[in-house]
Amino acid sequence: MKEGLRQDRAGSVFKALRSLLPVLVILALIAAVPLFSPSNRFLSLAISAGINVIALYGLSVLFGQTGILSMGHAALVGVGAYAAAILARDFGVGFWAALPAAALASAVFAMIVGIPSLRVGGHHFVIMTFAFGQLLAIVLTNGGDYTGAATGLDLAGPVTLFGADMSDLTRYYLMVVAFVTSAAVASWAIINSSYGRTLRAIRENEKLAASLGINVGRHKIGAFVVSGIFAGISGVLLAYFLGHISPSQFSSFPSIYLALMVMIGGARLIEGPLAGGILVAFLPEVLNLDPVQSRIVYGVCLIAVIMLLPDGLIGGIVRALRAAFSGKPKQETQQRGAAEAQR
Amino acid sequence: MKTVLKMGASAALCLGALAHPAFAEDNIVKIGVVAAESGSFVSAGHTLPAGVGLAVKQINDAGGIKVGGKTYRLEMVKRDDRTDIATAIAATQELVRDVKVQAIFGSETHDFTLAMAKITQPAKIIHFAGNSTLAKILTPDSVKPGGEDHYLFQSEPQEFQRSGSTARGVLTLLEPLLGYKPKKSVMIVGNDATGQFLSSYYYKALKAEGQDVPDIIFYPPDTTDFSPFLTRAKSLNPDIIHFWYNGDSTLTALPQALELGAAKSYFLFGVDPGIWKEKQLSADVPVAMSCVPVCWGESSNPKAKAYFDAYFAAGAPHGVTSSVSLLYHDYVHFLAEAWEKAGSFDPDKTVEALLTLHHQGVVSDDLTFNPTHQVTHATEVCAAAPGGAISCSMQQPPAEAPKS
Repeated sequence: MKEGLRQDRAGSVFKALRSLLPVLVILALIAAVPLFSPSNRFLSLAISAGINVIALYGLSVLFGQTGILSMGHAALVGVGAYAAAILARDFGVGFWAALPAAALASAVFAMIVGIPSLRVGGHHFVIMTFAFGQLLAIVLTNGGDYTGAATGLDLAGPVTLFGADMSDLTRYYLMVVAFVTSAAVASWAIINSSYGRTLRAIRENEKLAASLGINVGRHKIGAFVVSGIFAGISGVLLAYFLGHISPSQFSSFPSIYLALMVMIGGARLIEGPLAGGILVAFLPEVLNLDPVQSRIVYGVCLIAVIMLLPDGLIGGIVRALRAAFSGKPKQETQQRGAAEAQR
Repeated sequence: MKTVLKMGASAALCLGALAHPAFAEDNIVKIGVVAAESGSFVSAGHTLPAGVGLAVKQINDAGGIKVGGKTYRLEMVKRDDRTDIATAIAATQELVRDVKVQAIFGSETHDFTLAMAKITQPAKIIHFAGNSTLAKILTPDSVKPGGEDHYLFQSEPQEFQRSGSTARGVLTLLEPLLGYKPKKSVMIVGNDATGQFLSSYYYKALKAEGQDVPDIIFYPPDTTDFSPFLTRAKSLNPDIIHFWYNGDSTLTALPQALELGAAKSYFLFGVDPGIWKEKQLSADVPVAMSCVPVCWGESSNPKAKAYFDAYFAAGAPHGVTSSVSLLYHDYVHFLAEAWEKAGSFDPDKTVEALLTLHHQGVVSDDLTFNPTHQVTHATEVCAAAPGGAISCSMQQPPAEAPKS
């Protein structure tokens, strides 16, 4: 009996590991990009995209697993970025020490926002997070010398790792890829843990979850706090990459973009945030779209995803590939795809 | 053997073909431009490549520049930042590291410029940017040799100078049109980095001119309904409402202000009289306008007309802030003269030359940089009388910042 249970557990662990493998392979390929001497423009855009992807993995825990959509996620990234800049300016705290501190600051901010916001559900929560995001931008804009007001703050400290200067574009790129990998693995670990199952139970039916003894409110706030940790780390990487931050980078529009990225990529699948982040960052570049055209394309993509690919672009691609290669009847493939997306 | 010879000959021809353009490229000096040619900042953004492009064409048409006994042609390499900081940074990385430009112009957005400078300065690239907010980082320490902003130059005057000359010009031009000396002013300002920075100086400039300024009313960027802000301003019974940034929002706010009868006169910062005339705007009260630095629609500067004729003939649109292009135009000529004087493209020698030159530009016959890499020149202010007649005058900047 025990042997059977052990075999079952080993089987499910193997199955879960198999879902992580494609992401790791893709990230390994992405890490190999500098071998092909890409342009610095490409590397720079890829770093920005990677920094977004880290925040998106946090958002996927919140939205994909718990079913809560935040429209103020850029504000959590902003808290991390400002924490890093203020710690560096006032206390001489460097990049590595700023990471846990900023992650903690964003997590605490998420908890402060989460406690009143999560008392309401659904659309009201979306509006509340949007309002908090705007509020943070107003506070930063009017924060005087402490926040640098609308001008923002400079951050000039070097990023070093084992004595090596990571400010070089290729090194920073590789470091961001490493952080994206960690974020993907952390997100995967959450999805495949009992905590992840609890979050999904809340997403599917809050009342039923509560009737099973799950503290719904606490877990929802917990998911928001977890997403804040990812956002805080993303904020530190952004602040050190740009060397200058200002409130406009963390207002409502960037938050909408983050939500858009995770929805287009697919919030429930481990590949989704990666796909969404890369797609939204590089689509205007590849198709040479101006911001107005980009917004039209993103809008159309979003409508298409909501109507045709509820589990996001990656979910749709996986389903299409399975249908194409397995030759199984369409309905059966769809059912399997949907079951995977349930995770 | 024949095959080997044929292959060798083919390879030699190919290499020869490649070598020819490489030789030509040796005589080309690349100037990068990062500007918002799309996105929310496009009206200011398009002036940058248009001004730089015109100057580059003029210099090349005149035979290029002679540096160290060799003649060089200039080439502008422009990149659209899409009013997005990630794109601006990527464009700067590309221009500095891949294209290997000798100098960069841009951007018009304060945050972007500061982040761009983190790339251009360590790479020793001469960087011109218009934002007067750069005064915050251009200090004697930061611009000295080895300082973190040694190669960064501010192409607009210091804000106390621009604010001072503008305030004086507005009050001087409006007084005869009002028929009395205006005493009370209210400022309505966009609440962003530039708005906050500019308004702090303009407030002091108005106070230095003896104005009572009971309030600075900030509106959120992208505001379209100004009635709450105008109602508040009207309650203060001002002689002048100063819409101090930005030009696009001001044109939205002015009709609402006129309808509400919010003040006895108005001042519109950064709105060219050319736009006033093209849009056939009118007001039953006097309206002052200022240009950065010289107006294209109506100017008292004799050289400006020839410049703007050439600028618009090159296809640039008539915009609220088209006059800003003149700064970039003048500084490309200034930079070319500095390279010729330095006899080298070495960035340190170029900085030395830029700091010692007195350049004869369109905006001023004596353009110079001060020790903190900022320029001094006049600002043009115009006023439209209720009947429609427009008068303009160049206002020289104050020598010193007003005591706060």
